[in-house]
Amino acid sequence: MKERLRKLLPILGPFLGLAFVLALFTAIGPEGFLSSYNFRTVATQTVIVGLGALGMTYVIISGGIDLSVGSVIALASVITALVLDAGHDALTACVAGVGTGLACGLVNGLLITQLGIVPFIVTLGMLGIARGLAKYLADEQKVDAPTSWITDLMTKAPEPAWLFFAPGVWLLFALAAVLALVLRSTVFGTHTFAVGSNEATAELCGVRVTRVKVAIYALCGACAGLAGVMQFGRLTVGDPTTAMGKELDIIAAVVIGGGSLAGGEGRILGSLVGAFLMSYLANGCNLIGAPTFIQEILIGCIIIAAVALDRLRHAAR
Amino acid sequence: MSNRLLVLFVLAFGLLCACREGKAQDGRRRIAVIPKGTTHEFWKSIHAGAESAGRQLDVEVLWKGPLREDDRDEQIKVVEDFITRRVDGIVLAPLDDAALIPCVRDAVREGIPVVIVDSDLSWDGRVSFVATDNFVGGALAARKLGELLEGAGRVLVMRYLEGSASTMKREEGFLTTLTDEFGQIEVVSSNQYSGATTEGAYRTAENLLIQFADVDGIFCSNESATFGMLRALQDAGLAGQPRFIGFDPSQKLVEALRAGELDALVIQDPVAMGDLGIRAMVDHLEGRPVEARIDTGVVVITKDDMDEPRQRALLDPDLSILER
Repeated sequence: MKERLRKLLPILGPFLGLAFVLALFTAIGPEGFLSSYNFRTVATQTVIVGLGALGMTYVIISGGIDLSVGSVIALASVITALVLDAGHDALTACVAGVGTGLACGLVNGLLITQLGIVPFIVTLGMLGIARGLAKYLADEQKVDAPTSWITDLMTKAPEPAWLFFAPGVWLLFALAAVLALVLRSTVFGTHTFAVGSNEATAELCGVRVTRVKVAIYALCGACAGLAGVMQFGRLTVGDPTTAMGKELDIIAAVVIGGGSLAGGEGRILGSLVGAFLMSYLANGCNLIGAPTFIQEILIGCIIIAAVALDRLRHAAR
Repeated sequence: MSNRLLVLFVLAFGLLCACREGKAQDGRRRIAVIPKGTTHEFWKSIHAGAESAGRQLDVEVLWKGPLREDDRDEQIKVVEDFITRRVDGIVLAPLDDAALIPCVRDAVREGIPVVIVDSDLSWDGRVSFVATDNFVGGALAARKLGELLEGAGRVLVMRYLEGSASTMKREEGFLTTLTDEFGQIEVVSSNQYSGATTEGAYRTAENLLIQFADVDGIFCSNESATFGMLRALQDAGLAGQPRFIGFDPSQKLVEALRAGELDALVIQDPVAMGDLGIRAMVDHLEGRPVEARIDTGVVVITKDDMDEPRQRALLDPDLSILER
């Protein structure tokens, strides 16, 4: 029984954390915290960090890190707005946005594998490059674009009403399901874990480490690109200064969800729960009217607590 | 393990309860006021105005800005969370004239009226727009400069930022009034932008002064542009020579005004903005008609009248109401 519980704990951990936060704020009882309207609001607020966390989970499992996702989100939102503004249809704009992210990710992956520079440095460079490029393309202003269905992806009053959540939330859930399946049951997923657990061994076992890594960073970039399209949908303008520091929220979501920065560990569902936990925490603090700094301190504590629990688990093994 | 969790729970519960705002069980109306940021003096002045109107009218003012300053997404979250809290009304200074529209529309759909202050939103579902008339502000600056130059001379305008609606209105008001009322004054440059930072403004101003060192009059349309120009004038040893009018106060600019390096400052009234924003909302909630556009006034302050009580209050607003 105890053995079984220990095995379940890493999976249950993030859920326990989320339950903790929900229970905490329910006990304090700000108005509307448990309302369905608030559930919908929090879900919509989670989409951008959630999408980013999906790709980041792969990167972190492989033992890497991607610091550029916040900037890539901004760049993709600007590109989406520019393409729309140039008179193209919304689908082309979406593809351009996701493609931008994919391209950034590919460059990250190629630089890491071909130049042999650590991911931290390469993606730190990309953080600056993508942000600067976004500002240059946007002429250091927000980019207005004609209205399209991309805006409806993030509305809290979706059509038809039975959707309940914004379409973007469903997209997040669907993509999470697909990527969880890929991680669990495909060769690519297995190789991702193999690279993260022990790169040299993986190489010896015939895993094409270079290819796998490039694919992982490209995937992470594409997720950030999609998040950028959603960010555009939410703001209705392309904003080169948006999502500043979002990469840290995204990494935090993955870590809370059971990802280990040492590589070889991580769960898509956990990351998703981690993203919701952070959203609920921010939302709850807002609803009780706590000053912003309390919220920042709490999120900091939760991140450290999540990792500390993780270490305890390892020590017990 | 579970004991430790319980302790953590109780600790967090206590901490959060301690910093929780009072609930509106006393039946007072609650009005959320959402600024663009919270650190700048300008927003504190709006807060002070709103707070004092709130006390007079017996409504609770809930003040909350975006987590990160100038972050559209964060401001949207703040609006959304106030919708969830079911406040009676929202007074908002939008960071963006388009990006905030969807969430404001949500608020109105949920039955929460919205008053816009400071910068406008490109949407007419709001109750009222309470702000400075920036065109008039620019026009006042033009008349003052025309008067100082006795109707003749060469004038230079350093603009703020492309696409910034409020400052563009000021520049437009300035230039239109100058050409309409002072035919003898020549505008030698009005196409240079300072950019958003003081550093950028400083550099642009330096370049302008190399080209137009013998200019008679200068106008800058916001605080950072004015300060950048002032620094460049001081560096070039020109401070006090051309007649110089700026927009918005800061401690340094007030010092320069006193030292005669700056001839006049155009000043808005953020305290009135907060005050009138709350009053417009309360009027609307009580079914009284509200003007769609409320002007909060703008004045020109010079060295001679800067110590009079009314001017003093605008240059150095009384924020004591915000102290706990």
